[in-house]
Parts: sequence; structure tokens; C-alpha cells
Amino acid sequence: MEVLILVLSFVILLAIGVPIAYSIGISAILTMLVSILPIPAFTTIAQRMATGLDSFALLAIPFFILAGQLMNKGGIASRLIEFAKVIVGRFPGGLAFVNILACMLFGAISGSAVAAASAIGGFMNPKMAEEGYDKSFAAAVNITSSTTGMIIPPSNILIVYSLAAGSVSIGALFLAGYLPGILVGVLLMIVAGVTSYRKKYPTAPGVGMKEALKKLFDAVPSLFLLIVVIGGIVAGYFTATEASAIAVVYTLVLAMIYKEVKIKDLPGILLDTVSTTSIVMILIATSMGMSWVMSYENIPQSVSAALLTISNNKIIVLLIINLILLFVGVFMDMTPAVLIFTPIFLPVVTELGIDPVHYGIIMVLNLCVGLCTPPVGSVLFVGCSVANISIDRVIKPLLPFFIAMLVALMIVTYVPELSLWLPSLFDM
Amino acid sequence: MRTIINDILGKFLVFLMALMVINVLLQVAARGLNLSMPFTEELAGFLLIWVGLLGASYATGKHLHLAIDIIPRQSSASTQKRLNVIVNIIVIGFALTVMVIGGIRLVYITLSLNQISPVLEIQKGYIYTVLPISGLLIIYYSFLNMKDNPYTESENV
Amino acid sequence: GKQGGVRTLKLAHTLNTQHSVHKAMLLMAEKVKEKSGGKLELEVYHSAQLGTESQCLELLQIGSLAMTKVSAAVMESFAPSYKVLGLPYIFKNKEHMFNVQDGPIGKKILQDGEEAWLRGLCFFDAGSRSFYTKSNPIESPDDLKGLKIRVMKSITANKMVSAMGAAPMPISFGELYTALQQGVVDGAENNPPSFYLSKHYEVCKYYSIDEHSSVPDVLLISTVIWDRLSDEEKTWIQEAANECVPAQRKFWEESEAESLKAVQEAGVKVNYPKKEPFSERVSDMYDSYKSDPKIYNLIQEIRALD
Ligand code: NA
Ligand code: NA
Repeated sequence: MEVLILVLSFVILLAIGVPIAYSIGISAILTMLVSILPIPAFTTIAQRMATGLDSFALLAIPFFILAGQLMNKGGIASRLIEFAKVIVGRFPGGLAFVNILACMLFGAISGSAVAAASAIGGFMNPKMAEEGYDKSFAAAVNITSSTTGMIIPPSNILIVYSLAAGSVSIGALFLAGYLPGILVGVLLMIVAGVTSYRKKYPTAPGVGMKEALKKLFDAVPSLFLLIVVIGGIVAGYFTATEASAIAVVYTLVLAMIYKEVKIKDLPGILLDTVSTTSIVMILIATSMGMSWVMSYENIPQSVSAALLTISNNKIIVLLIINLILLFVGVFMDMTPAVLIFTPIFLPVVTELGIDPVHYGIIMVLNLCVGLCTPPVGSVLFVGCSVANISIDRVIKPLLPFFIAMLVALMIVTYVPELSLWLPSLFDM
Repeated sequence: MRTIINDILGKFLVFLMALMVINVLLQVAARGLNLSMPFTEELAGFLLIWVGLLGASYATGKHLHLAIDIIPRQSSASTQKRLNVIVNIIVIGFALTVMVIGGIRLVYITLSLNQISPVLEIQKGYIYTVLPISGLLIIYYSFLNMKDNPYTESENV
Repeated sequence: GKQGGVRTLKLAHTLNTQHSVHKAMLLMAEKVKEKSGGKLELEVYHSAQLGTESQCLELLQIGSLAMTKVSAAVMESFAPSYKVLGLPYIFKNKEHMFNVQDGPIGKKILQDGEEAWLRGLCFFDAGSRSFYTKSNPIESPDDLKGLKIRVMKSITANKMVSAMGAAPMPISFGELYTALQQGVVDGAENNPPSFYLSKHYEVCKYYSIDEHSSVPDVLLISTVIWDRLSDEEKTWIQEAANECVPAQRKFWEESEAESLKAVQEAGVKVNYPKKEPFSERVSDMYDSYKSDPKIYNLIQEIRALD
């Protein structure tokens, strides 16, 4: 009954064009009215919306979006791209590779897919469009590759999993994440390369040594941003979230030095940032309401309990669990999904002899796909809003990348060594 | 009227956003100097609530919210107009029930039951006033949006 | 809600399924079911599925959630009397603490929440909090000097850590593991089960049991819901809560011993510094409540008790 109301109302609202954020909020409220009186129900959703935004980690979204804007307007992005073109410009899809590598690196360090999507997408996507790539393709590359940072350590979501799972070492999980994360990145690159070759995206002519050195020299101060951000985190001067504010200051100073951004431009840039940010924030706010209702009505538990009665075979159970998680990821944010499903599935899989470390990687990788799917997909939201493109336009170019992620998921699921080999080297 | 409200709202949002950056820089700097500024983490959360919800009303005024308009896109201009009115009424319904009514109830409860924030020690109810304020702004903008046809305007993608 | 003559009350807490508190909650659900012959049931939500501690308290006030278990530290924002429980070294020892909780002072504090629509049912043991650090054991307050210690969002906790000589730092709990690992902060403080279950022992190899504060947990029910219950239902719930208290204390003691053993097996060095030098540093904190007679009197009553 509750599931039906939730799904039906949601599909109808989306189809007639109600903004996704409000569709999520309204289906949540309709579902809630089945068991809660109207005024408490309204008040509860209002509370979920406000408190859902009260999270320090979310700061990375506005700050990296702001840094991205400053990089674009301040001439930092273009210098970086010019330099990247010297290295990979001759290959089909060269800039797509740069986007993927940058997202992997950035996501790896910040541990946040949303941060990677906003920081890298914010400056890469406009540049890729300028160079003749389809805007939607650029956004699809950015969105999917941002999720690799959730698996490549450090990763906040793996910490959440470890806490939910109990006796699983965070250190072991971190080591287990490297190879699967890199695998996803490589598969995404293959898809990007093939698509670029087919679509005949432009390649840049090779440049001489002198020209190349000049472009490198121009790019050094911009590249130094990476060293400041990454170095600061590694040296313990600031946390990954705080690094986003440092990135803002660094790009601001550099943009002022390049004289491409003036003080009087700042209010406009800040307001653009707020617009882009709040589109994502209101989605997160109402999603919190939806997640809450789903937990409150025990929807995830009842769906999975029904499905898990089907088989006792290890391969099939893993497949079913993957399918459930994929489905959950479509409708739910990652953190509540991990917290709710870990205690449900972990006993089932350990019974079948699956290592909890391995299962953690499967689960997170699986939910990474969900981060990129509508209706509830924070990375999709951020990726689309920094690329200034509507969600339905990015779905088609996303499909081949989804297939790459699903292939990676199958390999990671059925080849445990990929996750467990590195930890075993360290006796973990 | 619309431009005045946009203007005031825009300026206030710029102020909040700037404050957000300064606050986090303060947290990093204070820690570097081994000074204790316990309020920064709490303030950051409160600023996010305000920027997110007020910003959402600003985005409503600018037609910026993400939507999947499968049906409207394939409809005639007159159907699009009618759908646009329906969509805006639905949005108004949500803003009115959840953000205004639910929000006022939440402000009332937290103020009358005297909930104090743990570090800044301010009334939590004041933080939640952003819910009804944003709700009212969303209602106002949605009424104005009923007259527009967003499906012809936002084709610049 | 009530369906087919069975009333179900939802109880949410923020700890995971391995935590002793969760076991106590399940036991309580069992007892309620037993006493009511199945007419009243508790449905337990773990892992903050329905929100953080302060969010759950708000849901109790809103009336969409019936019961929750929170730290008394969080209750400070809702009902000021709870502040006394968070004061450093307020209890002489464990026995003294239980006497306070089980006696008239405890009852007075539990009732104080009713003005905020939060009826306290009972206290649960949450042990004592101590410092854990990355590079050096804390033998005396002097060892805290210059250290950055993460503290929870609470003015009392901030003042205490400052008074002891360290610099209290706000870091969100979600970022704390990495913040400790990268050295953004030098340490933090918590009770043994939380130190163990948060995995912070993988990074912090020194646990200095100074037991600076012993903030208990509180089980609460929304007065909005409570007032709708029949006298019979109220009795079942209160009795079940009371009966859970000794069991929970036993669960806690076991999990504390297990946690200490487990972290030591993982290479953590546990030391037991003298408590007096620490408590001397924070003695001024009591006097600062002189301007608040309600709190100050409670402090005096607790200290007068044996
Ligand atoms: Na990472
Ligand atoms: Na999704």
C-alpha cells in the first residue's frame, strides 16, 4: 500500500513536469499521511528538510561549485585545459580521459563524489563543450567517473559501512577499494574513448616543444592548486571538507592576479554559486524526507525480505542482492541505504562465506550506480546543474557508462580476489 | 515588485554565502593557531540550512529547478499552459502545507519548548524560521510562474 | 498507531545493532509485549534511521515518533537540569552515580523534560568518557597542553577540555576518523565501546582512562503520545523500562570489558592516570552555575548524596 502510493504519485508528478525536488517531497508526504496525522506529517517533513541540510560535509558542494566558477571566470580552467591538450589532445576523447582521471584523483582525495562532480565538472564541462564535445556526453563522463572516489580511499561511505557492519576494519576496506575503483575508471575510459572515436570528437594538432613548455609554465600556478588542496589534507592542515574553502581562496587569489576576476564581479559569482547549490540542496532536503518515510514504513526491509526467500545459491543470492541494491540506489541516497541494508544483508552473505570486506566494496560500488540515476541521485543532480543541462538529456549518453559500471560490478562481485588481494598483502 | 524581492533576496544570499566561506576559513585558521572556536561547525550547518532553502525559493523564481518534463514536451502549447498552471498549483500546495504550515508548527514547537542550540546557545526556532519564509517566497514566485510558459523559455540547452 | 487492537510505538536510537543499547531496547520491546499480552508493541529503529539524537527529540515533540534514547548531553538543549549530569567528575564513583540516577534526584531530572514534552522513563549507563590520543599517553593534565582534542557539540564539554589545558576542536563525527588519521586533531574523547565501535582505535594507540565525565543515556517518550495511552499501557511501559535498567547495566559492563580487551589486543596502550589533577582543573566549572539556582541546587544535592 505505502510502496504503491510512493511510487505511483512520484511517477505521475515527475511525468507532468513537477520539479524533482518537489515531487520527492510530495510523494513522501502522501505516503506519510497513511499512518501519521496531517500536521505532524507536515512538520516532520519540514524538520527533515531543514535538518537534512545541517551537515558539515555538505559544505563541499557550494565551495567546490564556487571554486569551479572562479576557475572558469578566472582563466585558471583554460590554462589547465590548454596544458592537458598538449598531453592527450591528439587522442580521440583526450579531454574525456582528463575529466575521468581528474575526477578519480579528486574523488580519491576528497572522498566525496559530489565534491568531485562539482569541482571537476564545474570547469571541465564548459571547456569540453567549447572544444566540440556534446555537453551531455561531457556531463555523463563527469557524473559517472566522480563516483570512483567513493571506492578509492579515503572514503567516507566505506567508514559508514564499517560502522554499520561492526567488526570490519576501515584500514582493510580502504585497501580493498583501490583495484575495484581503478577498474571502474579504466572501463569508463574505454567507453569514453570508443564513443569519442565514433562521434569523431575533435582532436588537437600536436604542438612543438617550445609551445608545450610555455603551456606547462602557464599551467603551473593552476596545477599548484592540486598540491595545496591534496597536500593540505595529507599533511593534516585541514579536512577534506575544509579543503573546499581553501580551494575557494586559492582560486580567488589566482583569478585576481590574472586580473580576470575583480572584486565587483564577486557578488554575481557568489549568487550564481548559490543558485546552482540550492538546486542540489533542495533535492537533498526533500530526499531526506523520502528516505525517512521509507525507513519509517519499513519499505526497504519488506521488499528485500520477500526477494531473499527465492534462493540459497551463493551466485544467485549475490545477484538478487545486487538487483535490490541497484533498485534501492535509484530511490535512496547512499548513506541511509548503507545504514539500513548492511544489517539486513551482511548476515545473509557471511552465512554464504562472503568476506564482509568484499561485500562492503560490492555494496558501495552498487550504490554508486544509484548516485547517477534519477530520481534520487545526488551526483547526477550536481553534475547536471554544474553542466547547466536538464536531466533527461543526459540519460541517453549515460547508458553506455552505466553498462561499464555494471560490468565492473559483476567483476567485483564474482572475483573476490580483486578486493581482497591488497588487504591480504598487509595481513588484514 | 518581483525585481525588488529578487534583489533583496539575492543580496542576502550573497551575504550568507560569503559568511559561509569566512566561517570555515576561521575554523581552519583557529585550529592552526591552536585557538578554540567551538561555534564554527554549528554555524556552518545553520548557514547551509538558510542558503539551501532560501536559495531554493530564489531558484523557483528563476525557473531553475530540475525537472523531467516528459509529457509537457510532447504536448501542444495550450496543454503546456494548462500543465504549467497545474504544476505550479502542486508546488504551491507543497510549499503551503510542508514549508509554511509544517514550518510554522516546527518554529512554534522549538520556540515555545525553548530548545537552545548546544554551542551558540541561540533559540533553535529562529533557525527554522527559514522554512515558512522560503515557503511563502516559493508560493509568491509560483503564482508569478503560472503566467509564463517555461517549456518554451528554457530551450537554451 | 493502533491496528487490530494492537498499538505499536516506534522507538528510534542512533546506535548500531551490535551496541549493548540496542540489545537493551530489544529486551524492553520483549518485556512490553509480554506484559501487555501482545496488545502493546515497540518497534525499534537502529543506526539513526529516523534521525540523529536531537532530531529524534524534535520528532518526539512533533509527535511522529513515540520514543527515543539519547545521551543526557543532548538533552541539555531541551531541558537545562540535564546539564548537571554532564559536569566533569560530578559523581564520586559508579555506585554514587547509580544512587543519583535511581533516587529522587534522578526522578526530578527525568521529570524536568516534561515541560519540553519529553518524559524521561529511565537512565541507562553509558560508562565514562576518557581521552584517546595518537602520539602520547595522557598521564596528567600537563600532557594535554597544546593538544587539539575533538569534542562533541556541547558548551560544557568545550569548557571542560579547555579547563584541562587542551584546545577543544569542533570536527563533525563523520569526518573524525580521517581527521585523526591525517593529524588534523591529536585526539578525542569517548567511552570504551564507542572508542572501539567507531574504529578510532585503529588510529589512536593511547587510551588514558581519566573518566572525566559520566554522562548517562536517557530513554524518553513523547508526552504527546504518553497522554494518549491508557493507565494500563503507561504502567507496562514504565515497568518494562525500570526492569531493563539492571539488564542494560550488565550489558554495558560486558561491552565495556570486551571493548577494552579488544582495543588492547589491537595494540592500544591503556593507562590509568590519577584523577585528582584533572578534577582540580575543572572545579571552577561548578561555581559558574551559582547564578542559576536550579542547577546549582541540583549540584549541591548530588554532592551531598553518598
Ligand atoms: Na576517496
Ligand atoms: Na538514484
